[in-house]
Amino acid sequence: MSLLSIRDLRTEFQSPSGIARAVDGVSFDVEPGEIFGIVGESGCGKSATCRSILRLFGGAAARIAGGQILLDGVGDLAAMPERQLAQVRGRDAAFIFQDPLTALNPTMKVGKQIAEVILRHRKVGRAEARAAALQLLRDVQVTSPERRLEAYPHELSGGLRQRVVIAMALALRPRLIIADEPTTALDVTVQDQILRLLKERRDSLGTSIILITHDLGVVSQICDRMAVMYAGRLVETGRVREVLDAPSHPYTRALLAALPGQVGRDRALTPIEGAPPSLIAPPPGCRFAPRCAHAVARCTLGDPPPLAPRAGAAPGHLDACILDEVSDAAA
Amino acid sequence: MPQLEFRQVERRFPVKRDLGDVLARRGRVWLHAVRGVDLAVRRGEILGIVGESGCGKSTLARIGVGLQPADGGAVLFDGRPLDGPDRAGRLQMVFQDPYSSLNPRMTIGAQLAEVVAHYQPQLSRAARGARVQEILAEVGLVPETALKFPHALSGGQRQRVSIARALCPGPEILVADEPVSALDASVQAQIINLLKRLNRDKGLTIVFISHDMNVVRYLCDRVAVMYLGEIVELQDSAALFAAAAHPYTRALIAAVPDVRRSQPMAEPISGEIPDPFAVLPGCRFAPRCPLAEAACQAPQPMRVLGQDGLVRCWKAVPAA
Repeated sequence: MSLLSIRDLRTEFQSPSGIARAVDGVSFDVEPGEIFGIVGESGCGKSATCRSILRLFGGAAARIAGGQILLDGVGDLAAMPERQLAQVRGRDAAFIFQDPLTALNPTMKVGKQIAEVILRHRKVGRAEARAAALQLLRDVQVTSPERRLEAYPHELSGGLRQRVVIAMALALRPRLIIADEPTTALDVTVQDQILRLLKERRDSLGTSIILITHDLGVVSQICDRMAVMYAGRLVETGRVREVLDAPSHPYTRALLAALPGQVGRDRALTPIEGAPPSLIAPPPGCRFAPRCAHAVARCTLGDPPPLAPRAGAAPGHLDACILDEVSDAAA
Repeated sequence: MPQLEFRQVERRFPVKRDLGDVLARRGRVWLHAVRGVDLAVRRGEILGIVGESGCGKSTLARIGVGLQPADGGAVLFDGRPLDGPDRAGRLQMVFQDPYSSLNPRMTIGAQLAEVVAHYQPQLSRAARGARVQEILAEVGLVPETALKFPHALSGGQRQRVSIARALCPGPEILVADEPVSALDASVQAQIINLLKRLNRDKGLTIVFISHDMNVVRYLCDRVAVMYLGEIVELQDSAALFAAAAHPYTRALIAAVPDVRRSQPMAEPISGEIPDPFAVLPGCRFAPRCPLAEAACQAPQPMRVLGQDGLVRCWKAVPAA
């Protein structure tokens, strides 16, 4: 059974010009011990999707307008009162933000912050919580952990701070970790270390991870399955190697084709013309159709197409394009 | 003769002392952002400068265009030192965040015309307008863009405008500091294509500062790799990516995730860039280097590498 089942999730943001449907009918499952990647460009709704899971909207005028977020053994998080959901956060599912500084209290020593997470949820003494904090720092391979317990967040480098945040997320041994661009602010060598750490923690603890990123390379490196999001909807999902090596949705293909490194230096890159649509008044039919090189008239009719398997595709590899065969020409 | 040349360029910043330091009469501590950099930019090339945050690549770029003074050494343009206004017209800079380099309260046309007027005061109003249209077309923007304000443009359009602004004085060298880092991949490709076209069609020399190895590999003819204020390797781009000589360059390339592969190739390097305060006599990468040995504690001069490369590692070059 899946650890997390999201069904037809809809999340709306109130904006001065109307209601933006940032998440508009998203469904996916995350299996135990799986690293699931969600990729897309800025404003596609990937962050809104993962923030909806624990309702972490940070004061934004957002609400879950429909759908279910079923966490195994806990229930439907979308229907849960805030008070009950507060117990779920940290204990069953934890969140890692892009910027570790915003997740840490600048006036509190690192050791005390980690211990506080443990004290809030477990009946243990201070000394025991502190010992647990020390072990957590060791687990995330922080060098000289005894000394770091006494440090304030500003005294640590970006990579160390992100390790501390991961240690806090792991403090209560949640079955699910949701990481929103956890390495985007880091240098590549440190990003590599953090990605290896997340993978190692998954391997040893069996924690499921939802990883949100704009970087297809990051997904390729550590995710098992992935979903590609565009304008509030999933357009393709499947096992990482299948989606990246044999993408079937025109948007996924275009995204890959735009990356440098796919063509020789003598050939021009292939950008995607135009810009993503408004989430307040999205176009009818497929939302990518206005920018799609393959679009035909029927692409712009009716509701956005749902995810569906293609003949001959690997099991679980689905995409939301109604065209039978997308030519390779543009990819 | 190189078009732009850095000779032993130094830049250091004083580190703030706290009361304890003053009472203990500890001397001033300096952070060397750039230490003794020699670099020659060739006419018509795209030279990449790569490195992790804090390596000094942006500081070097700003010294190059004269936005920051150097504390030592010299920057030569066509073999001669240049002073402010003269340099400004011939060297222009493009920044990472186009929004911060544009005036939010002026139309695009008005701000570009202002720059044109500054460098070509003899032009009539109509001629200025025509020049603005010419530059907009050059960066792939429609004429109506001139009537818009920066907020009405997308991120990619804004970066085109800031490139257009940099082109107004008719520069010979464009220094671009992370110009595509804030852009989504689909838009990033447009700007990369534009820079490549300006280089090919107009012979514009481009110094491209980036942390993104994939972009650098695609765009640049030569690449300089910086670590803690020093250049540690300088090579032809194809040669560098085929067989990087410095262990740091190799680590940097190996750490880049690849969309075509699930597992990274190499073991990661440990640790992070150390504080740049500590002055090590030898190789500054040695504390993180998997190949380090006792001899690395000795000062590391640049060594000749192949036909046209330089590397700051004694192990990378066979003994003569």
